Amino acid sequence: MLFTLAWRNIWRNYRRSVLVLLSVVIGLIAIILYDSLSIGMIQQMLDNQIGAHVSHIQVHKKGFNDNPVIQNYLPDPARVRQLLAQQKGVAHFSERVITFGIVSSATGASGVSMVGIYPQQEVQITKIKNSLVEGRYLGDAPHEIVIGRKLAEKLDVGLGDKVVAMASALSGAIGSDVFRVVGIYETFSSEFDKSHAYVYLPNLQQMLEFESQISEFAVILGNLERQNEVQAALVQELGSGYEVLTYKQLLPLLVMQVDVYKETIFIFYAIIGIAMMFGIINTMLMSVFERIHEFGVLMAVGMKNRRLFVMILLEAFLLGISGTVIGAVIGYLIYLPLADSGINLSAFADGLNSIGSGSVIYPILTPESIVSAIFVIPAIAVLGAIYPALRAARLDPITAIRHV
Amino acid sequence: MGIVQTIDLEKTYQDNGVPVHALRGINLTIEKGEFTVIAGPSGSGKTTLLNLIGALDKPTKGRVLLEDTDISGLKRDALGELRLHKIGFVFQAYNLIPVLSAMENIEFTMMLSGIAEKERHRRVREVMQELGIEALAGKRPNEMSGGQQQRVAVARAIVNNPTLVLADEPTANLDTDTGAELLNLMETMNREHNITFIFSSHDPQVIERARRLLILKDGMIAEERS
Repeated sequence: MLFTLAWRNIWRNYRRSVLVLLSVVIGLIAIILYDSLSIGMIQQMLDNQIGAHVSHIQVHKKGFNDNPVIQNYLPDPARVRQLLAQQKGVAHFSERVITFGIVSSATGASGVSMVGIYPQQEVQITKIKNSLVEGRYLGDAPHEIVIGRKLAEKLDVGLGDKVVAMASALSGAIGSDVFRVVGIYETFSSEFDKSHAYVYLPNLQQMLEFESQISEFAVILGNLERQNEVQAALVQELGSGYEVLTYKQLLPLLVMQVDVYKETIFIFYAIIGIAMMFGIINTMLMSVFERIHEFGVLMAVGMKNRRLFVMILLEAFLLGISGTVIGAVIGYLIYLPLADSGINLSAFADGLNSIGSGSVIYPILTPESIVSAIFVIPAIAVLGAIYPALRAARLDPITAIRHV
Repeated sequence: MGIVQTIDLEKTYQDNGVPVHALRGINLTIEKGEFTVIAGPSGSGKTTLLNLIGALDKPTKGRVLLEDTDISGLKRDALGELRLHKIGFVFQAYNLIPVLSAMENIEFTMMLSGIAEKERHRRVREVMQELGIEALAGKRPNEMSGGQQQRVAVARAIVNNPTLVLADEPTANLDTDTGAELLNLMETMNREHNITFIFSSHDPQVIERARRLLILKDGMIAEERS
């Protein structure tokens, strides 16, 4: 009956309760959309980085990640190859030779990261093939190069044009070669497109005076949750001469961004929560002051102060939970089509491309977000009602009954 | 020894720093089954006395004994418990809970007492039938007349089987006929169930029905008639 009483009390002042409910509903929808949009953006940044180049796990010679010079090639790539082929959890891997060099055309030059790949291996690891906007993907043939659109624009080259690549060879001499542009790609990130060029691995080995040396192995796992397990197994097998790094270690800034986001969402929750709490304090205080005489009667007929306190908290809780349920349903209904079609933020394309998220963001609503919101909002409502409830519970029955 | 006893009961209020002696040494014993009216002019201390007997207020001096228990020194929660189980109130302005139906209003004190729902409903039906208000069961206070509301208030006051029922000016807001009907009802309850009633009133028709009349003047019992 206390529940019935609390529920009916909420609707005594219909307009006021609807306004509070609306503030809770709007707050919850804002939380759901902001949360899902942010998670979607971060996840896209992460997926893009993994899919463009980073992969789930990379294996290098120890020190390569800090100092990616060509001299830091893997001591025994055949052993790594064999290990990866046998390792449980490894879905695909790709061998790479990586160097920093200069690609120049008749009209310009640009510093790039030259990546030598076996095209059929790399296609299992990264999305470069799917990102082609002109031409074709690399074949197992020398003197072909795939470059990003931004680099093509900078060098003012198109399909079929020749470019010259130069890089420091193993001996210290300048290695160079001529490549014909066979494909132009465009990814989520203009920065990436400007700085990565792909060539056939044996071709780059030859240019850098490598024999069979490999700079890195990029690995894609069947199940990302097993990354620590696979990493530990590889570290144990390969020993101290190698480094086995997960994408979290390879992308520390992005991982930090995820952590920072987790902190900032609570600040966002807090801002909305504080605004909501003041609304609820105000409403409940008004509601308490309007009912002082009635509280006096309730106490006169034997209702204990503690029960009165609980009844007012219950009113706030019911208001909060009603708003939460309505807000969660509406928020989810708004989220569903957005998750499917994505939110086109091409007006901010330059900024979004530079951070690597792409300009169409697909919101992701996690169960954690829903659960947090479902618990946080009613808790805020109850917290906001504590002061008004205390005011009511401290009333003296005789003074309250006399109150007009 | 009566069910209620007041010993040298005094109550002094502060009105803007000026002491107001509402009660000045009331000695009174109420026996089980009495139908007592406390009368007197406005400001004579009727309601104050009723509030002290009803454990709503604490005396400045003296004691109130309810069934031999001194309630003057009890704490808030204990007083609440006492009101719940031993005292029924009927107020001048009915004071039903506006969001509850007549049936729920009557049931309310039993819910506070922790009585099971089935038993609550049985007792509510019984009392409503006895007071002839079954037809009001689903109505809310704003859908009832003053007389109907006061009948429901009486039902609420007696349903929990209290030791005594305190009625503060119960007919003040009712017309004469409705007031008479209500008093008939309360007399019947008193006669048939031996429920003790203490009224505070200056309504002549209430005073007429008193089997014991206490007239207060300036906070003291000026006259007593049986």
